[in-house]
Amino acid sequence: MLKQFKAAAMATALMAGTALANPYAEYEGTTLIVNFPAHPHYDAVMKILPEFTKETGIEVEVDQLPYLKMRERQTLELGQDQGEYDLIAYVVFSKADYVYADQLENLAKYYMNPKLADPAYDADDLIDGYVYNIGFAGGNKGYLEGKTGSLFGIPYGSETSILGYRKDIFEKHGLEVPETYDEMLEIACKIPDLEPGMGGLSSRAASGHHASHAFLLHLAPLGGRVFDDNWNPIVNNDAGVKAAQALKTIVDCGPEGAKNFGFGEALGAFLNGDTAMFLDTTVVAGQIDNPNKSQVVGKVGWAMHPMGVRRGSQTGGFGIGIPANAENKEAAFLLMQWLTSKKGDKLVALAGGNPSRFSTHDDADVNAKFPHMSTFGEALKHADPDWRPIIPVWGKVNADLGTTLSKVLTEDLDIQEALDGVAERTKAVMEEAGYYTWQ
Amino acid sequence: MDQSYEKQNPAFYAVIGLLVFMSVGPVVLMFVNSFKLDVDIISGTSGLLFLPTIQNYETALCDVLWYEPDHLEFCSLKFGGAFINSLIIALISTVLTLVIGAMSAYALVRFRFMGRDTVSVTTLMVRMVPPAVLLVPVFGLWNNEFCLDKNGLIGGAIRDAFGGRGDVCLAGTHSGIIIIYVAMNLPFVIWILQSFIVQVPRSLEEAARVDGAGPFQVFFKVVLPLIKPGLAAAAIFTFRIAWNEYLLASALSDRNTKTVPILIVNNMSEFNVEWGVIMATGMLLAIPPIIFTLFASRQIITGMTAGAVKG
Amino acid sequence: MFTSRVNRLSPYLFMAPAVIIMAIALIYPLGYMIWGSFRAWDPSQTIGEAEFVGLKNYITLWHDPSFRESLGVTLRFAFFCVSIEMVLGVGLALLLDRNIRGMSLLRTMFILPMMIAPVVVGLMWRYMYHPSVGTFNRVLETLGLPDVDWLGSHALTSVISADIWQWTPFIFILSLAALQSLPRSALEAARIDGATGWQQIVHIKLPLMMPVLIVTALLRLIDAFKVLEVILVLTEGGPGLSTEILALRISRTATEFRELGVAAAMSNYLLILLMLLTVGMFAFNRWQEARAAKVRMAAEEDS
Repeated sequence: MLKQFKAAAMATALMAGTALANPYAEYEGTTLIVNFPAHPHYDAVMKILPEFTKETGIEVEVDQLPYLKMRERQTLELGQDQGEYDLIAYVVFSKADYVYADQLENLAKYYMNPKLADPAYDADDLIDGYVYNIGFAGGNKGYLEGKTGSLFGIPYGSETSILGYRKDIFEKHGLEVPETYDEMLEIACKIPDLEPGMGGLSSRAASGHHASHAFLLHLAPLGGRVFDDNWNPIVNNDAGVKAAQALKTIVDCGPEGAKNFGFGEALGAFLNGDTAMFLDTTVVAGQIDNPNKSQVVGKVGWAMHPMGVRRGSQTGGFGIGIPANAENKEAAFLLMQWLTSKKGDKLVALAGGNPSRFSTHDDADVNAKFPHMSTFGEALKHADPDWRPIIPVWGKVNADLGTTLSKVLTEDLDIQEALDGVAERTKAVMEEAGYYTWQ
Repeated sequence: MDQSYEKQNPAFYAVIGLLVFMSVGPVVLMFVNSFKLDVDIISGTSGLLFLPTIQNYETALCDVLWYEPDHLEFCSLKFGGAFINSLIIALISTVLTLVIGAMSAYALVRFRFMGRDTVSVTTLMVRMVPPAVLLVPVFGLWNNEFCLDKNGLIGGAIRDAFGGRGDVCLAGTHSGIIIIYVAMNLPFVIWILQSFIVQVPRSLEEAARVDGAGPFQVFFKVVLPLIKPGLAAAAIFTFRIAWNEYLLASALSDRNTKTVPILIVNNMSEFNVEWGVIMATGMLLAIPPIIFTLFASRQIITGMTAGAVKG
Repeated sequence: MFTSRVNRLSPYLFMAPAVIIMAIALIYPLGYMIWGSFRAWDPSQTIGEAEFVGLKNYITLWHDPSFRESLGVTLRFAFFCVSIEMVLGVGLALLLDRNIRGMSLLRTMFILPMMIAPVVVGLMWRYMYHPSVGTFNRVLETLGLPDVDWLGSHALTSVISADIWQWTPFIFILSLAALQSLPRSALEAARIDGATGWQQIVHIKLPLMMPVLIVTALLRLIDAFKVLEVILVLTEGGPGLSTEILALRISRTATEFRELGVAAAMSNYLLILLMLLTVGMFAFNRWQEARAAKVRMAAEEDS
């Protein structure tokens, strides 16, 4: 009897002992240096980081930079023998560059380490489109899901596109929320007549990645793609022309100065009440309801990205990953895991950030504070990971596409001609990069 | 120069008034806007009737304030630190440039030595180089080549003292930026100071030499005090360039050595154009130049005209 | 004995710090850049690791329509800025060269634009040009006129205006100084001879000021090619490439596209252009100096 009692007591003590073991104990006192962009989601992350430090004892120092500067800085740091950053937030198409140059840690070994990996993590809850777009590399086409790929980062601060509209204006004129592209374009051009001084839809249009982002938003739902399966540029096919025309219509019926709107101006126009609709990222939702910044608080409804020949909203935003030359990789992994865990995701959503999990979108508390979350969750089911190619030469192609489209918008270039030019120049770039080696 | 002030016709004064308005107007506009809330700026309440607030300055200076402003959830703009960096870099660059530049100007004016013309011409030619042209090689060199191995003697010592990771390279240090600023400003300073040194009568130097002073003593004790106006002008110009410069600083700084212009440009992000805070940071950057303008305008003008206008 | 050796070495000692610093931080980088322009060079490599490609960068650039457009923009920007600033600056100096109370206070206010950081200048003008909340459009609205898309359709003009705002005072101050150092005798003589104000300006003042004006214009021209931060903050080179001057394009090619070899080649093109312009200006200056000397001699003979 006594022996059994002792055995039981020892077993309990052992279990209690392990239950009280802290996975973070070994890393307490470490300081992690992380690189984040100046972006509303990461502003929300800054608010919840103190919580992480309180729970784990690991300090986090953040270097927050504007998104383009962040990329430049990262390129520099990742190329050194030993880098400054333990954790970086990277933009989607940096994934191609970094993985190709072997600068990001493959996350497999961290998830295999029982001391680091949290069994309650529930990776299936992470949004598929985001994971494959932002975290996965080496799969089909090199950048999509597939049997040949593996995980290099976790989506964090991801976004898809959504249509925001002014409920009050629509009600006033008896307009129906548009479901298809034709409907949306029609309404966009009716608004300036119905409400003088107001634009239909504010969109990005400025030269460079703004214009090309806006163009690509329309390309996917209208059935187009930039490249076909053999990497030949098909951006100048009918779908491409239609998408460019849609963009031109939107900008022509848009508010004053629409041709040069960067993202900030387009959003500003909507927040000021200068336009009736806004088709862009879900990131803005938090700002719309902020009375310090917005004059349309409470007047905005949300609908899915309109349908062309199919539904396809963008996938984009940021992911977090561990540089190969980081100093504190395990602690960085713990931070990454904490931020994207169910608890962390919910915290950041409540602070105004973008959740990366399906469960957070359906969570009652989150929806109580942000009622649009469930619409966003719906929209995420149609998130298209292939709306934009993620290949190392994309930067150059994108810049050319963006500048050309801006000229279409401001100088009235002929659309077919302009897109033909882009296709030709793109083909040259692709040829040089070796994409036609197997043809 | 006769001191009688002639009366001018009113149109003249109107032109003057217009010019003053155009020169000073934008700055005043920025000043006024820095005390407005964003909603006031955007909604277009006409400038004069509004409730001034120092919220924008609080946001900008949040890391040096001794209290926590209510409206701020976390401190993102580390303006205080940037201000200190800017100050360190600008002051040290100015002092170094002045000393080194004065010495070179003196040598070029007073001595005949081998290579003098080459140096003189090179100094002039180098003035033509735009900073953007220097950006490419300096970026490469400062990051990859001018480095001390962190396992070596000096490199290791620096790493032990200051922390940080990787090799000790010029990039990301104050010295890296200071060196390039000194180099960029030397041609101009030498050019200005030359025209001042030329005006120092040789007889004074001769007298000092006869009294047994060596060339360094002649320089420091006789010549330098006499070209004080030139030094002042050169100092102001050098400080202004070092204080205002953006391109090279942004390429060569890391998170600990950010200067104020970098912070301002970084702040103009796509997502959140906070006009009030931007105006406040702009004002803060403009304060030293404005102070110089108000109190040292004569020196500035002297510096500008030196060398251009003879006699 | 020791002093005499020091005396012989002293020029070199005086020059040494400057020479060393300029060699390390200016000459060596420039040489490095010229060397690097013949290679395909990535920011993470040292130059030794970069692949040699000969004149490829130069040839690619020459045929690159973006480069040509940028070159055109640069030339137009420099030309318009310098010429308008010269005309305005000299004109204002001629106009305001009178004895009035408070001239020094006015001069103080006029040099304010020059002293403000280009980044801040860009900021101020970006605000004023803003399509909806900007000062200009708001004024137009209150006057009932339609809004103007400053930074969109008229980007280059807007950028040039900002530069004119900042640098006309420079020309003005220098011209004023030049005017005030003209020999009064020549002007008196002309006035006694009954020359009108306009004739005085064209035949006496301007020719005598020419040397200073040339130097000023040259300085301004060189600086016009250096302008970058104002344009970066105002338009980032957009829309399209309509305000992307070469300096900005070089910086973008280096930091955004990460092609340091091409950026280096572009820098060389820019330097060559600057040298041609400088040499041209110097030649012009020589010619004008000769002319001014003749006028001066003629005036002194008459008086």
